[in-house]
Amino acid sequence: MMRFRRTPFGAPGSRRVSVRAVRAAVLVFGASVTLRTLRAQETEPDRLARLDANTRFTIHVLMDSAEMAGLPSSALRSIALQGISLKADSKTIVAAVRQELANLRTARTTLGPVEPEELTAAAALLHAGAKPGQLEKFRVRQRGRSDLQAFTIWADLITRGVPSEDASSAITKLWDDGADDATFLSLWNNVQSDILRGLNPGAALQARVRETPGRPPTAKGQPPEGQQENTRSE
Amino acid sequence: MTDSEQLHPYVEWIIREARRPVVTDPDARDRVIEAIRVEPLPRRTAVVRRIFAPRVFRLSPVTGALLAAGLVGIGVIAGAVSFNRDGRVAVEQPSVAAKPLPVSDTIVKFVFFAPRAQQVSLVGDFNDWDIAKTPMNRSARGGLWSVTVPLSAGRHVYAFVVDGSSWSADPSAPFAPDDGFGHANSVKLVGRGSSL
Repeated sequence: MMRFRRTPFGAPGSRRVSVRAVRAAVLVFGASVTLRTLRAQETEPDRLARLDANTRFTIHVLMDSAEMAGLPSSALRSIALQGISLKADSKTIVAAVRQELANLRTARTTLGPVEPEELTAAAALLHAGAKPGQLEKFRVRQRGRSDLQAFTIWADLITRGVPSEDASSAITKLWDDGADDATFLSLWNNVQSDILRGLNPGAALQARVRETPGRPPTAKGQPPEGQQENTRSE
Repeated sequence: MTDSEQLHPYVEWIIREARRPVVTDPDARDRVIEAIRVEPLPRRTAVVRRIFAPRVFRLSPVTGALLAAGLVGIGVIAGAVSFNRDGRVAVEQPSVAAKPLPVSDTIVKFVFFAPRAQQVSLVGDFNDWDIAKTPMNRSARGGLWSVTVPLSAGRHVYAFVVDGSSWSADPSAPFAPDDGFGHANSVKLVGRGSSL
């Protein structure tokens, strides 16, 4: 049979018990704080925190500048996060984010107040090599018509090696002819097939544009019926 | 019942007894109370006496301070766990409800052919370009990798990462230009209920 020796309070034994209790309390406290910190990091990871302090500050300043100008700062954040995943150095990341901000500003100036995704598509197009003047045509648009598909295909064509001028004239012609998203998508499918078969990208585009049915373009400088210009202030 | 009916003698006796006035003793109450007072109180057991007996704790100031800090810490943790900042009691929610649900307009399936890859991930602006967030699943046979992702309407830029290091654009989607990191991405346009 086990026997327990009673230790009177105030004796050395009771002091040991108190110290153990304090140690246990401190351990519980520390473990709880650590767990809560880990949980917070798990639920809201800020991947920008992987950047060094100076780079992170610069990125945040650029994002603030974008927001002040009414530009989508999420596009800048996305570029920075992409750079982090690719383990790019800080200088490259900051340069890429600066370039994106500059492209967004140019796109906004050129197109006027458009949807954020149209703005990012236009910024990507400028980054691919299109000139701001080539985008001015798209400032005038039909009510409810989006240039998102046209810009996406245009940027793809330049990225695949089609000369910027050729891509610009082809896409602008189709746009003027009232081409819809399906037409642009069909053009892209055909051109990329031709390029994969070994055709010259510029020639492949020219041939496919000629095949694409369209309506006669309207008089130069006159927006077609039902079209409007983005004249709202930025 | 009528008067002409004859009752059983036992029933008549019960009725008589019930109608007889009750005679009470005026001293009965006092006698009961006195009997209760005389009854001895139940004695506490040894365990109860030991618990309630007064004692003196002797702790050094340092030990006392640590003990107090520990108790305060436990209280703070309990408060932080049980209450939100605005004072509302925190109710444990299912994990699905606790996470902000993505605003998705459509479900998009991404497919990539990489027969020699050991693992393939999808990265893009929809998952913060995090390689660990969206691993793709290999088909039962062949080198086809696929994953289904809820996406909001708009323009999404993405790429595939093969074996954790090799980035590749989607050959079945339009390219997005190199953002300055040395490779092209792909673009997915998502409309309401449909995708490119």
